[in-house]
Amino acid sequence: MIRAEHLTRTFGTRVAVENLSLEVERGEILALLGPNGAGKTTTLRMLAGLIAPTSGTVRVRGEAMDRATAARLRGHVGLLTEAPGLWDRLTVRENLLVYARLQGVDAPATRVDRALDLFEIRRRADDPAAELSKGLKQRVALARTLLHNPQILLLDEPTSGLDPESARDVRQMIVQLRDEGRAVLLSTHHLDEVDRIATRVAVLSTRLIAADTPAALRGQLFGTRVRIGLVGEVRPYIAVLHGLGIRDAHIYGDTISIDLSHTMIDTPAVVRALVDAGARIESVTPEQPPLEDVYLRLVSEDARVGSPEESPRR
Amino acid sequence: MKRIAALIAKDLADISRHPGLFWPAGLTAAISLALPFFIAVAIPSLTGEPLSDSSDFQIAVEMYRNQFGARDLDPEGAIQAWILQQFLPLLVLAPVAGSMSIAAASVVGEKQARTLEPLLATSITTFELLTAKVLGALLPAIALTFICFCAYAALAAGLTRSGVFWILLAPRSLLVTFILGPLAALAALQLAVCVSSRANDARSAQQIGALVILPLGGALVAQLTGSFTLDVPVTLSISGLLFLVNVALMWIGIAVFDRESILTRWK
Repeated sequence: MIRAEHLTRTFGTRVAVENLSLEVERGEILALLGPNGAGKTTTLRMLAGLIAPTSGTVRVRGEAMDRATAARLRGHVGLLTEAPGLWDRLTVRENLLVYARLQGVDAPATRVDRALDLFEIRRRADDPAAELSKGLKQRVALARTLLHNPQILLLDEPTSGLDPESARDVRQMIVQLRDEGRAVLLSTHHLDEVDRIATRVAVLSTRLIAADTPAALRGQLFGTRVRIGLVGEVRPYIAVLHGLGIRDAHIYGDTISIDLSHTMIDTPAVVRALVDAGARIESVTPEQPPLEDVYLRLVSEDARVGSPEESPRR
Repeated sequence: MKRIAALIAKDLADISRHPGLFWPAGLTAAISLALPFFIAVAIPSLTGEPLSDSSDFQIAVEMYRNQFGARDLDPEGAIQAWILQQFLPLLVLAPVAGSMSIAAASVVGEKQARTLEPLLATSITTFELLTAKVLGALLPAIALTFICFCAYAALAAGLTRSGVFWILLAPRSLLVTFILGPLAALAALQLAVCVSSRANDARSAQQIGALVILPLGGALVAQLTGSFTLDVPVTLSISGLLFLVNVALMWIGIAVFDRESILTRWK
C-alpha cells in the first residue's frame, strides 16, 4: 500500500533519516519505534507527502510521490499528527465538516454524522473543541483522519498523554482499522502497545536498525526459549535434555528454562522425551522477554556499532 | 473552489467567535468616520464660524467648484464635500488596518495552534490555502468598509448642506470606496499572509504587512495638500497598478510558501 525506498532526508548538515526502506501492507500495523530524534516524525511526514525526501522515493499504491502527484496522493493517506490540531473555537461537528469539505468527500454532513456515531462523539458534537478532554480530542482527530476513508493511515503517537482508558479506546479503534484492511503505520514510544497490536516492528535510529515481527525479533536477540514446570525433582531431567542436543538449560526452582533456537528439535518433542523419562509436567510456556528488552538491546547495539554500512536485521 | 470556500467559512466562523479581533478595526473605523464630520460640521457649529469665512479654504472651494456635480453647492457645502472626499480613502483603509491582524495570524497562527500540519496533510494546494487565507481576512474588511460607507453617506445626508450627500455617490467616490479600497486591502492582506507564512510570530507579520498602508497614507496627505488629486483617471490608474501588484503578490506568495520550512523549522 505504501512503500519507502531508500529515503534519506537531511536538514542542512544534519541527517534526520538515512537510507530508509520499508513497506506497509494492507491489513497490517507496522510500529515505528525509535528514540527521540530518531527520525520517526520526519519519516511520517515524508510518507504523507508533507516534506520531500532529499533522496529516495515514496510510493503510494505503486505510484511515486513527487511535486506533481503529492496533492492527489495525499488523498489516499490519513495522517494523525502528534497534536490533535483541532480549531478550538469551532465545535466538534464544525471541525469535522471543514475537513470533510477540504477532502472533497460526497455529502459531507452525512459523512460527519456517521463519523460522530462511529467514534461515539455525537453527544459532544456541538461543543467547542476547546472544551474536550485530551482523550476526546484525540478521538475527534482520529475521526477527522478517516473522513475521506483513506486506506493508508499514518499515526504519530496516537496514545501519547492519554489516560489508560482513553489509550485503550484508541488502540481498539486502531485494531479495528487494521481489521478493515487498512495499512497502518504507527509511531509510538509505548512498547506494551506495540506488543499488543503491531503486526511488525521497525526500529529506527536515523537509519533502519531492524524490521520484523515482535516474535522474530525476540527470537533473533534472545533465542527461542521455553519454560517447563515440573512436579518433583528437576535435576535428573537435565541429562534427558542434553541427550536431545539442548545445551542451554537452566534450572529455576521446579522450572527448567531451555533455548531451542540452535537445535533441530521443537517443544512437543522435548515434552514427549521428558514424559517418556518419567517427568510430571505441570506447565509449558514460551519464554518472552519484554519488547522493551528487545528494543533497548537493538538501540544500544546500534549505538555501539554506529556504522551506517551495517545492514538492518530483517 | 470547494476547498477555498470551506476554509474561508472556517476562518469566518473562527473570527466571529473572537470579537476582540474586531475592536481595532471598529475603533479605527469609528475615528475615521467621526473625524471629517468633526472638522466639517462640529467645529464650525461649536465656534459659530463657517469654514467658508476662512481664507484657508478658499482654494479648496475654487478647486472643488470646478468639478462637475459640485458647481451647485454653496461655498460651505463645497468645503464640506471637499473634506468628506479627502477623508474617504482613510475611511476605506481603516477596516484594512483591522483585518491586518487577522491576515497576519492566518498562517503563523495556525502553526502556533498546531492546526497547520493536519491542514497541509489534506489535498489542499498552496494556491487554495493562500487564497482562502487572504479572502478570509478581506471579506470582513470589505463588509466593514461597506457599513462604514453607508454610515458616512447617512451622516452626510443628515448633517451636511444639501447636495453634499450626492457628491459621495459620484463615480470618483464610489471608485475609491469599492475598487481602489478593496484592491489596496487585497494587496496589504496578501503581503501580510505572505509574511505570515515566513514569520515566526503574528506580530512581526502584522508590522511588515502594515507597510503597505504607508504609501496610501502618503497619497492621502498629498491629496490634502493639493499636490495630488484622486480623480477618476488617477483612481483607475492606481487601481490597474494595484491589480498587477496583487497578481504579483499571489505569485510571490505561492513561491515563498515553503511547507517544509513551516513544518520543520518553526518552533
